[in-house]
Amino acid sequence: MSSHPTFVPSRRDFLRRSGQLALSGTALPFALNLAAMGEAAALTATAGDPNDYKALVCVFLYGGNDYANTLVTYDDASYDQYSTIRGGGALRTAGGIALAQSALAATELKPAALDVPVDSLGVARKFALNPTMTGLTNLFNTGKMAVQLNVGPLVKPLTRAQYNSSDKVANPRPPQLFSHNDQQSVWQSSSPEGSTIGWGGNIGDLALAPNPVLNTPAQFTCISVTGNAVFLSGDTALQYQVSTGGAIKIKAAVSNAAIYGSSTAASGAMTVSAAMRTILQQTVSHKLENEYNKVTTRAMAAETKVTDALNLTDATATPTAGVPLATIFPTGNSLADQLKMVARLIKGRTVLGAQRQVFMVSIGGFDLHDNLIRDHGGTLGKVSAAMTAFYDATVEMGVAAKVTAFTASDFGRTLASNGDGSDHGWGSHHFVVGGAVNGKKFYGTAPPISVADTKDSGGNYLPANQWHVGQGRLLPSTSVDQYAATLAKWFGVTTTEMPTVLPKIVNFGNLASPARSDYPVDLGFMA
Amino acid sequence: MRLETSDHPTEQSAWVLVSAAAAVLPLSACGGGGDSAAVASSVTLEPGRAVSLNSVSAGKAYPAPTTSAQAARFLLQAQLSASDADISSVQSSGFAKWIQNQIAADQGPTGWDWLNAKGYGDINNTSNFYDHSFPGDYMAWNQLITSPDAARKRMALALSEIFVVSLNGLDFAWRSHAAAQYWDILSKHAFGNYRDLLEAITLNPAMGYYLNTKGNKKADGRGSAPDENYAREVMQLFSIGLVELNQDGSPKLVGGNKVDTYTALDVSEFAKAFTGYDLDLSQNVNTPIAQAGGGVRNIPGTALIRLPMVQVGNNHSPGAINFMGGTLDNSSAPAALKAALDKLFNHANTAPFICKQLIQRLVTSNPSPAYVQRVANVFDNNGSGVRGDLAFVYAAILLDDEARGPSGLNAAVQPEFGKLREPMLRLVQWMRTFGVTSASGAWKIGDLSDLGTKLGQSPLRSPSVFNFFRPGYVPPATALAAGAVAPEFQLVNESSVGGYLNYMQGVIDGGINSSDIKAIYSSEIALALSPTPANPTNLIDRLNLLLCAGQLSAPNALLITTTVGAMKGMDTSTPVNATKTAANLRNRVCAAVLMVMACAEYLVQK
Repeated sequence: MSSHPTFVPSRRDFLRRSGQLALSGTALPFALNLAAMGEAAALTATAGDPNDYKALVCVFLYGGNDYANTLVTYDDASYDQYSTIRGGGALRTAGGIALAQSALAATELKPAALDVPVDSLGVARKFALNPTMTGLTNLFNTGKMAVQLNVGPLVKPLTRAQYNSSDKVANPRPPQLFSHNDQQSVWQSSSPEGSTIGWGGNIGDLALAPNPVLNTPAQFTCISVTGNAVFLSGDTALQYQVSTGGAIKIKAAVSNAAIYGSSTAASGAMTVSAAMRTILQQTVSHKLENEYNKVTTRAMAAETKVTDALNLTDATATPTAGVPLATIFPTGNSLADQLKMVARLIKGRTVLGAQRQVFMVSIGGFDLHDNLIRDHGGTLGKVSAAMTAFYDATVEMGVAAKVTAFTASDFGRTLASNGDGSDHGWGSHHFVVGGAVNGKKFYGTAPPISVADTKDSGGNYLPANQWHVGQGRLLPSTSVDQYAATLAKWFGVTTTEMPTVLPKIVNFGNLASPARSDYPVDLGFMA
Repeated sequence: MRLETSDHPTEQSAWVLVSAAAAVLPLSACGGGGDSAAVASSVTLEPGRAVSLNSVSAGKAYPAPTTSAQAARFLLQAQLSASDADISSVQSSGFAKWIQNQIAADQGPTGWDWLNAKGYGDINNTSNFYDHSFPGDYMAWNQLITSPDAARKRMALALSEIFVVSLNGLDFAWRSHAAAQYWDILSKHAFGNYRDLLEAITLNPAMGYYLNTKGNKKADGRGSAPDENYAREVMQLFSIGLVELNQDGSPKLVGGNKVDTYTALDVSEFAKAFTGYDLDLSQNVNTPIAQAGGGVRNIPGTALIRLPMVQVGNNHSPGAINFMGGTLDNSSAPAALKAALDKLFNHANTAPFICKQLIQRLVTSNPSPAYVQRVANVFDNNGSGVRGDLAFVYAAILLDDEARGPSGLNAAVQPEFGKLREPMLRLVQWMRTFGVTSASGAWKIGDLSDLGTKLGQSPLRSPSVFNFFRPGYVPPATALAAGAVAPEFQLVNESSVGGYLNYMQGVIDGGINSSDIKAIYSSEIALALSPTPANPTNLIDRLNLLLCAGQLSAPNALLITTTVGAMKGMDTSTPVNATKTAANLRNRVCAAVLMVMACAEYLVQK
């Protein structure tokens, strides 16, 4: 970034160059490239020690989560503002798209007295989770979960006046705000749709780079249990996709498989399964064709190892039956299915040869332009139950302090109602869960409850209206890059390496010039 | 009804080129035929159109196939499969005449009528079909596999991936019928006009539910605002896209930067145009259904989700709609809708935005800018002054030299030409190619979206309005050239590659739904030992032609031939023919089909 004078982008540039070399067919082995760079190890660990392990788990809430009914403002004064805007009933009862205040009592988040959050107007605030989120409430109140307030994509710190400024060079906005696909991509990779490198993958690159012994084979560094997402793609690190049922074995390619009655061939010819293995793993000159065969080849190489790892938690596996996790994951909950698979892979980490891993799981159903009250709570309840069970599983496995799960979403939504739901927004509140989290605390700054656009006589937005850009679409006071950098630092990424993972972090905190201490690189929610 | 002499569309409205400001365009009747009975056909079937494609075909370098492989290649882009008869037809008529014949063919039976014919419209059936989406899956697969108007259906399927409504997002009574109605509208307008299609889907109940136009209300004066969902997505996905485009589909750059087509404020204002709509209750009859747990539930009739939405109550936003630097006529709700859709229809982006995606669906992921521009020009004017004529757009895409010429088949010249064949298209092609039938006639092919055990894709089952994959998707760590995309690869990962093969391995021999839907392979079994048992090149040649348009690599064709030749069925044993059983011959065919459908040259359609 040109705005940062001290960042020397040698490593990242080198990685990209080496990637391009690889494409042109003249690649050196990756470790050799790094040796040539003469750089120190990035993530350090004791190779082969199963206790030396860390994992990040991104829980993506697809569709754009309604922040206002997820982390609900609870103190009387701000609740009343919320209720008015969302059409609540008299005496703080439910109405419109407002939840009843009384329904929130059981899910109130209770920080220590010294940690009560104060909003941008200096007012102490109370918050409660959606009434369905009992599990996460308990994790917060027992110190295992932190709340990051009003976080979203930013190129650099931005006020509402700057957002409205016509000078988009001095006051850049993230590209394609309010658009689902683009903001999913921006959250995951800092760039809109079409981006191919995400920050989870960048972290994976560093996990691979210094010490190949850490993750062997490299394939299991970045694992998705949901579909293809840019988050887990790095320069070298590739997303490995596993289904909630485990790795898929290609039946027709199994040695000597009986396919349509044929497991043997006449002498001198191939069996069908042998021919299939040849067909599926060919290198061909057409690029799309080769791209497909590359994925199949990777799948076939990984399948046995993943199955072996999962057998450790499969009582029906033969010949060696494993011991299932004792933690009960909720059923009928796709996110729980995915997180259970993550837990089982962590259990099998020594089989996979992985000591630093980044996972991604997801759940959809958040694009609630309609039926917000009818549908939102049920989906949030699934998120809470799934993440709670996952945390419990990490405790069972003795890795609670080594595994951190965090939420992300396309965007927050409007505070204003559109009748029966809310529309696309920007900033939102998010959760970080794990044994290494400085929990029972709020981070960042709570935005005032406002949908107003009023300004003072000098033409400046009133302080109460500063932190939204209309209809209560939050203007983030913390950037995704800060949120990610805090997680990355815990994972072992150094300050020097941080810009290779998160290019825009150089516009924040002490990496910015001049420094922006109000937008710190480390938000403090990780131990 | 067919116009024998006119080149003009038989749509109720011909969208003549006029300036947007001066346009006085008739609103088209869309969707409902006005019948109240549940068995009524959902849409007025679109009669064929007699058109001349001379304006599109003039000057093309490849007017007709010179080989059967070229004919098959064309057919696999233009429709859902290539049969022997289709190949002969294209060879004798040439490409343009064949397309004219498809455009002249009447729309086939509707999905709506099929649902009713199969009893899924029976409100008294204790299976409560109105609460289920599986009949919608059966309907969609049946339409794709059995419809006589395969070219129209191919276009409709492409449209269903741009104008997305998904069974996954429909949770109201008669959801399968709603999906059928939506599908029938896409089929009806597939060779009609984009402007009619845009209006028809805007007022369609399934879309109304999916993107929340249904029940969208003006601001209540206490802080609420109109729902922005449809206003945003109709622009971002259905018409103009996010950034200003050149006619060749490339983004316009100002000072090196892309230019947004609209602002957040434009969306909020545009949303007003889509307020006040709700279901048309005028023909609705509720039927009280006794519930198992006691009590009665009133189930509406299917007319409710068949008729276009109408203005209900006083819910339309009044006042000016300030949009894209101008003001839309909001003197009435119909005026606002017309002004809004005309604005999008006449926007300079619409032709390149829609045409590039249609090229991507039918021919290649990375069309040259010149190809996009040639097709977009036809969208702007079909040669007779009509804008938005989708039949001509379809023809322009398929007749273009870039689609027809040989360079796309040469990996040394164009290593990125073509597109990954979508998993649902592979299954449909397999069904149609081998004449697969449903013995019971029930055609129970369900949701095949599971990526680990099925296809990872199913028609009308997109996970969101953003389709199964995005037009700009780039695979990670790709060897593709900078700027090249591979949309369908968003479905490709370590699970889905195996899920597809395992599913097809079962289906190719065992069929679907306890063998009710099963391939017979008579023509192929006849070639299982031909010309010799050890070297059944005639079988492999046939599969290569019908499935791959002859695009299998020579090494793979040889590998498959020798592998099949080594299977039982050889005549070398003693006594001769001892292993030439029907089962062994069928096994040879199944193995050959599986291996062909596993080849990258099959999977990537060029």
